[in-house]
Amino acid sequence: MKPLPGTNRGFFKELSHSRTLILMCLPAILFFIVFCYIPMPGAYIAFTDFKYNQGIFGSRFVGFENFRFLIISGKLWQLTRNTILYNVAFIVLGNILQIFVAILLNEVRLKWFKKIAQSVMFLPYFISAVLVGFLSFSILNYDYGFIPNLFKALGAEAPKFYSNPRVWPLIIVLVNLWQTTGYGSIVYFAAIMGIDPTIYEAAEIDGAHAIQRIWYIILPSLKNTVAVLILFSIGGILKGNFGLFYNVVGNGNPILQPTTDIIETFVYRALMNQFNFSSSAAAGLYQSVVGFAIVMTANWIVKRIEPEYALF
Amino acid sequence: MKRMLKAVALALLVLFATSAAFAAPSAKTAPVTLLLLGNKPTNGRIEAALAEINKLLGPRIGAELKVQYIEWADWQNQYQLALASGDSNIDLVITATDWLFAREIARKGGFYPLTPDLIKANAPKTWAEVSPAHWDLCTENGKIWFIPEDQYSQYTNHGVYWRLDWGKQGGVSTVKNFADLEKYFDAVKKNHPEAFPWDVSGKESSFGQILYGYLQSSIPAQTILGCSTGNHGIFWYNTKDPYTVVSPFMDGKELLDAVQTFDRWAKKGFWREDVLNYQGQTREEMYDGLSGADQHHTQTYVTQTRPQMDKRQPGSELQFYYFGMENKNVNKDLMTHGAMAVNAASKNVPLALKVYELLRNDKQIYMLFNYGIEGVDYVMKSGNVLDRPAGWDVTKQSLDSNFWGGRMDAFEPLNAQHWADKNKLYAELNAFAKEYPLEKFAFNNTKVAAEMAAIGDVCSTYMPAFAYGKTGDPVKAVNDFRAALKKAGYDKVKAEIQAQLTAFKTATKK
Repeated sequence: MKPLPGTNRGFFKELSHSRTLILMCLPAILFFIVFCYIPMPGAYIAFTDFKYNQGIFGSRFVGFENFRFLIISGKLWQLTRNTILYNVAFIVLGNILQIFVAILLNEVRLKWFKKIAQSVMFLPYFISAVLVGFLSFSILNYDYGFIPNLFKALGAEAPKFYSNPRVWPLIIVLVNLWQTTGYGSIVYFAAIMGIDPTIYEAAEIDGAHAIQRIWYIILPSLKNTVAVLILFSIGGILKGNFGLFYNVVGNGNPILQPTTDIIETFVYRALMNQFNFSSSAAAGLYQSVVGFAIVMTANWIVKRIEPEYALF
Repeated sequence: MKRMLKAVALALLVLFATSAAFAAPSAKTAPVTLLLLGNKPTNGRIEAALAEINKLLGPRIGAELKVQYIEWADWQNQYQLALASGDSNIDLVITATDWLFAREIARKGGFYPLTPDLIKANAPKTWAEVSPAHWDLCTENGKIWFIPEDQYSQYTNHGVYWRLDWGKQGGVSTVKNFADLEKYFDAVKKNHPEAFPWDVSGKESSFGQILYGYLQSSIPAQTILGCSTGNHGIFWYNTKDPYTVVSPFMDGKELLDAVQTFDRWAKKGFWREDVLNYQGQTREEMYDGLSGADQHHTQTYVTQTRPQMDKRQPGSELQFYYFGMENKNVNKDLMTHGAMAVNAASKNVPLALKVYELLRNDKQIYMLFNYGIEGVDYVMKSGNVLDRPAGWDVTKQSLDSNFWGGRMDAFEPLNAQHWADKNKLYAELNAFAKEYPLEKFAFNNTKVAAEMAAIGDVCSTYMPAFAYGKTGDPVKAVNDFRAALKKAGYDKVKAEIQAQLTAFKTATKK
């Protein structure tokens, strides 16, 4: 790797040299300091018998007592499994679909169609999860929903989506793909646009057809982008998409929980039902620690295989 | 450009000067903020009432009353968060031992510990009118944690509202038990395809009050307050022997009866197939003739649902079947069903008590805060009857001060807007309703907090499905539920509650 310009200068020289870059980073740095680093010591609440008037650090230390309910409730395995499986599905299917869409967009020659297709696919990303919840309820609910009514109109027995936990993994993954594919494909599309056009010309001269161009030029050039994006997503593998699950599955329907309950919805429910800040924080901390371990492991593996693709 | 800058600077200067001038009078008064529950009204009526109140409070005690609302969305949690945050801007807090966790919050250090001397010095009338026995209900570890709303009569026992006109169409003219209720729902299902017999929503169903109602109507037992596992109170006392912990959720056949009943009701289509996900407004639907029933308590019936239905569905003659009607198992409201506490972080404790004293005991301020400005928000008619001005609409002009921590029968006028026959219902309930015998019992959950959290999770998983017939095979579901409760530590928690209850019995008998 080429050393960055100015890496051998002093810290302050470096600061003044890169001041524009640093200034541009500042909002992001501030964001993480305020919302991630400053609240971090507050995680100590998970180890206390929290008293309102004594504050987090004045309350009695109780060790792992608050974690005990996670184990007694017997849900830890189900929650961890659900969270990880959903994220694996989101990451794998999401990336494949995004690359596929980016390649399709790249092959489209009609400019106006390309623009419209991109915008239409982009749109769902900006629809709030609350609205997505309402939309899916009006499509799926048994009494008045679009799909069950279609079945009824055809004289068939209408499906009862909200009473059947088995169909939900499919519904949630579909909704997630619908929301994120357009947005995610932009990054890949940009990467494809960045491929040196002379390579295409050379391939054309050699007589490569479209499929070969995709297979031998585009896909290998995307390897780097894929690795970085997947590593980033693995970092959040234990972080469920709370808005999606909470709104689409609904908080009040325990029948669907076996297949839809993720750590975040569990933490939320525990807090809402128990008003116990300490045990909710304990569940949150469990999530963070396991997530941290997964990122470190993934990064370590990538480093062993292809050091350049590792995050750090 | 320079000229523009000058103009901006001048404008800012004027702005500061005027705001300082306006702020000046309030410098003599200190703000006292009251934390209320309810959706913050946007019609300006509460602000108008507060302005009038503050004209009186300022000169008399140097206080300026402000209100802060905990809105109904996620209120349980928001309420606790507001107190846990240590926000010193909150002074007075509406609370309750049965539905607002007053004892738990006191123990968690959310309230300021009051002493008789402090109350006598700042709220002497309040101190004198609350009996020693009632002060004792608010005392733990030698400190008074809240002031009871003990001079106000109301009933907040739950039940189901149903329409007499729709019932009569199917030959149902009384509902006195769950079998009658089923007949009524059958009639609505048959005759009113435009409506659901009970279009209950997910918000309501997440708790499953109807399940508790069924059990209350079936056995002589009631929930022990203050040892609930999250939102669910599965530990009950026998009304004949309040010092023994029982649980219809673990023992007996009534739970299975209930689950089978609701399973049948669900299959008959009394509510939506997707009831647990439905987010509609059941009460509004009932007002619009789209739901044949709604579920809430007596007070709501006499003050809201009955008068509203008489207006919006004339001839509906909305009735109230309250849980426990058939086996005479109804409790009176607690003395601490409404109460007022002082926030632990408050910097104005004596002043807050002075404000409370006037809100509770000064008739002029009491009327302003509870009913608004005479002539605008209400009019008085002969015979101490309060009515609303012509064209007044409860859904648009309501004051919503929700002062549920110090209302006084002595100041309450008769209300022309309430159901005219409410006293008949009160008399009926007064004839047999019992006092809750364990009001002073304050369970300490320290030893079993993890087990209770786990039980709470089991309950929130099973109860909504039980209440709305969503379990599949009821027999298997009840067995699974009981096994899950045992696994979560049911026996340990029950033994702990029993031990503390026995100790409480010994202490009370002394």
